[in-house]
Amino acid sequence: MSGVNQASLASYHDVELAAFAAAGERRAFGELVRRHGSAVRHLLRRMGAQAAEADDVAQDAFLAAFERITEFRGEGAFAGWVKKIAARQYLRRLQREKRLSAYAEAEGQIQDEGEAGIVAPEGRIDLDEGLKALSAAERMCVSMCYGAGLSHGEAAEALRLPLGTVKSHVKRGLEKLRTRLAPGEGARGDARRGNG
Amino acid sequence: MAEIDFERRLERLFGGTPDLPDAQAFADRIERRLNRGWTARRWLIGAAGLAGGVIGASQLVVSNLGQRVADAEQSARTLGQGLARVTPSSDVLSVLSGGYGLWVAVGLAVLLMGFAVARVIEEL
Repeated sequence: MSGVNQASLASYHDVELAAFAAAGERRAFGELVRRHGSAVRHLLRRMGAQAAEADDVAQDAFLAAFERITEFRGEGAFAGWVKKIAARQYLRRLQREKRLSAYAEAEGQIQDEGEAGIVAPEGRIDLDEGLKALSAAERMCVSMCYGAGLSHGEAAEALRLPLGTVKSHVKRGLEKLRTRLAPGEGARGDARRGNG
Repeated sequence: MAEIDFERRLERLFGGTPDLPDAQAFADRIERRLNRGWTARRWLIGAAGLAGGVIGASQLVVSNLGQRVADAEQSARTLGQGLARVTPSSDVLSVLSGGYGLWVAVGLAVLLMGFAVARVIEEL
């Protein structure tokens, strides 16, 4: 690995970079952060973290991921693995600061009920705008299940909420998102993630 | 089916995020922190090694090592003389059985210890 420059690191697959990082090659891990840092930070913002807080948590999550890099065996995507670590770290922070319990009482509290801006000017569907129509708890649950890839059960455990409550949040969140992301399609249908 | 399609689409939307403008700076910051942690770890290992060396040396001094080495040399020389009668023409054996043998053994032990310490640091 010595003698490999930054440009050539870009040509390696995530799994190879993770193996280099497991051998103590910190530049290889830096390349992984370059590739997936933004996705992790976006996820945390979508879960409800402010930009600065999301960056802090993402940084801690990547440092924790480096410490545990030997646990990553390439069975799933590296980004998914780090996102799970980051989501759990964010929830631990909320728990520590006694902010987590707010999600149990956050029924129907919608940050922004605006209908405009769902479709970005270039035609790209703007998920972030759609998420604003969800309550904090719905946004958190949907982001954890569809952004971080946690099952309903894992999300319920991490959020310290009953499984049924998490499923309800996800179902309502999906209905709202479906209405807003594809207005013509309607909001019918049950949420069936089927992994809880 | 439409529901599953929508869920997949949602996962794609969550996954398809553009790079933030400061993505490079963010990665550099983490790499710097990793390097800082590594430097601190090396200093810690070095300091622990130094402390161990000082403690070890002081213990050797306290336990009157010089006298013990002299005694061991004397024993080795006696043994060497005995061996010389049995095998009169072995230079290597005579060197090892004399006072030098002990120091060669000590040198080898130090080298072995060095390799072991290097391996442990590498593992850390």
